[in-house]
Amino acid sequence: MGTSRFPPSIWGGDRKRSAEPLSQLLLRLMSLRGRGLWFRRPERIPDAWAGSGSPTSPSPRAVELLFAAMQRHLGSYPLSPGVRVKLVSAGFQTAEELLELKPSELSREVGISKEEALETLQIIKRECPVDLSRFASVSISGKKYTALELLEQEHTQGFIITFCSALDNIMGGGIPLTKTTEICGAPGVGKTQLCMQLAVDVQIPECFGGVAGEAIFLDTEGSFMVDRVADLATACVQHLHLIAGSHLEEEHQKALENFSLESILSHIYYFRCHNYTELLAQVHLLPDFLLEHSKVQLIIVDGIAFPFRHDFDDLSLRTRLLNGLAQQLISMANNHKLAVIWTNQMTTKIDKNQSMLVPALGESWGHAATIRLILHWDQKQSRLATLHKSPSQKEATVLFDITAQGFRDVVVPSPLSPPVEPSGNPRKRSRDGREEE
Amino acid sequence: MGVLRVGLCPGLTQEMIQLLRGAGIKTVVDLVSADLEEVSRKCSLSYKALVAVRRVLLVQFSSFPFNGADLYEELKTSTAILSTGMARLDKLLDSGLYTGEVTEITGAPASGKTQVCLCTAANVAHSLGQNVLYIDSTGGLTASRLLQLLQAKTEDEEEQARALQSIHVVRVFDIFQMLDMLQDLRGSISQQVTSASGPVKIVVVDSVSAVVSPLLGGQYSEGLALMMQLARELKTLARELGIAVLVTNHVTRERDSGVLKPALGRSWSFVPSTRVLLEAREGSQVPHGCRVASLTKSPRQPTGIQEVVEIGSWGTPELSPSLERNKP
Repeated sequence: MGTSRFPPSIWGGDRKRSAEPLSQLLLRLMSLRGRGLWFRRPERIPDAWAGSGSPTSPSPRAVELLFAAMQRHLGSYPLSPGVRVKLVSAGFQTAEELLELKPSELSREVGISKEEALETLQIIKRECPVDLSRFASVSISGKKYTALELLEQEHTQGFIITFCSALDNIMGGGIPLTKTTEICGAPGVGKTQLCMQLAVDVQIPECFGGVAGEAIFLDTEGSFMVDRVADLATACVQHLHLIAGSHLEEEHQKALENFSLESILSHIYYFRCHNYTELLAQVHLLPDFLLEHSKVQLIIVDGIAFPFRHDFDDLSLRTRLLNGLAQQLISMANNHKLAVIWTNQMTTKIDKNQSMLVPALGESWGHAATIRLILHWDQKQSRLATLHKSPSQKEATVLFDITAQGFRDVVVPSPLSPPVEPSGNPRKRSRDGREEE
Repeated sequence: MGVLRVGLCPGLTQEMIQLLRGAGIKTVVDLVSADLEEVSRKCSLSYKALVAVRRVLLVQFSSFPFNGADLYEELKTSTAILSTGMARLDKLLDSGLYTGEVTEITGAPASGKTQVCLCTAANVAHSLGQNVLYIDSTGGLTASRLLQLLQAKTEDEEEQARALQSIHVVRVFDIFQMLDMLQDLRGSISQQVTSASGPVKIVVVDSVSAVVSPLLGGQYSEGLALMMQLARELKTLARELGIAVLVTNHVTRERDSGVLKPALGRSWSFVPSTRVLLEAREGSQVPHGCRVASLTKSPRQPTGIQEVVEIGSWGTPELSPSLERNKP
């Protein structure tokens, strides 16, 4: 027997019929079993098999597949249900049995068409990426990195700033790329304002600390106001001109040549979705859109809760759809290195005679986003932002403000300056009627 | 128990297979459970040949019983206990994560599950020097947070870099990608394709419910089948390759009573052998930034015991000893 525990003939390495009578073979097999060698998982491939691609022994990749796929049930491959049912009724259960067959033999035995047989074998052998129409993302996310390589990648990755430096600080620099962020808040607190601000801020050129990308805005509530975005964009351009004026280098001035109101507005791609079907379809089609527009660095879904909260009878369907949506979005964020933001509504939870506001869509939706930001009011009617969930930053709360120029830090007014104007969004009335002062 | 093929065992020829197929016997199970006298009459095959073939197939495909003493010896030599790096959590888990078992951490959002996974990965990579495979399906892994945790343990940059290199990260967002990933892991281990520092000793899956919950419920039972496929892969990985598996799971709220319970249902509850629930409880005994970890299922410890764990740093508010020494 030598060092190899598994003589090739027993694994079917040579298909010739052995010359020994069956009884002898049986005795030999029983003795192998007695030594407890038979059914351990192979820890070492016999030398005869380890050669690379010689005619009698398979290549290392095939051997690796064989040893690993041996126990893998057919149910764990993304085959279509009809094909799977036919394979099971023909008696195939593990992938090993299929690997030996040619497509024509398979189609004859199982009763499926030749194209289906070919596709099935390709899926089992994992030769080609899975068909795009079934899954939202091609599997480039299966690549292995060490944490050291990831660290180097993260150092070069930018953040999308919000122009509120306190908020940027607690988030570690701003909205991070390759992650999904959820913004929850009561009506009127500023979720859509923040989204519009970020759609403008993502386009800031790199020399000013931005990521110079484009934005996709998926609107389900209809709260996107173009004139407000124009105000935000104008304010941003003016702000950058001020900064460029204090720098003597040319690159800042050059970068600002392309940064104007028209260019900002033309790089925000707006989609209006009226119900959840349109939203799901749009998200499904986004990978193709992203292939054509490779500069997109931000996807905003304003109002992910709205289409799912009304007239949804089947709650388990809702959970399934939402979870699938979240997985599609995070895989897009990871594959194309962009940030995904969605806004959520708040709902009242009654707990032991106390009512509190919690984010909507249920307990399971809380796990969907990687980072969760909750915007709320405090007793003095100022706006607060709490970082509720983050994998790398501590929980913290900061004050922010929404001015005519957009999302900004809270500025403590000096006694001589005029009172701060209320929010410039014509749809939202100021909360305590400050304009009457 | 697969399809009958030529070469499966020496007595099985192509003509025999064709004749058996004509009688409706296609798989090994069919042959082994059929009445051989009838079969030999219908197919005009020799009874003795059929009996011999059946015996060989039984030898080939049935499993071998183990002696209890042998099993104990094997477990003693092959089981290792990996500390999570957080002393209080280790106390809860009876000194750490056991290889050969699946351990589950559940909790509400922002309860610290990802932090526990990161702490464990950093500890195994640094203090124990073993390779870690981190399967991320939620985007919660940030390498800068791992670096932060390592910096709290040691100030030597070489050590930090070495520890970071032993942590291998894969991002999968789909159940089929995850199954492919686990298959690749098994293939590479059985081929003994190991990196310089040794084989993988712990697999962290954060989180399992993110890839499984889009499939559960509804009319299709495929989702449940896929979940059990994943469960089987994880358990065989743990048991046969001597790896510790740490998974995280979500919680859902029961509609009537409002009690939190782990997601994925009753079928999944049989998969992990140890379950820990992390909760954020407000109160004077629980300082801010700490979580209460309760043991809800364990083969070794009494359930219901609780510990307060701080998730911001390494589980306890004190500094690690090496930094204590270095302070002026």
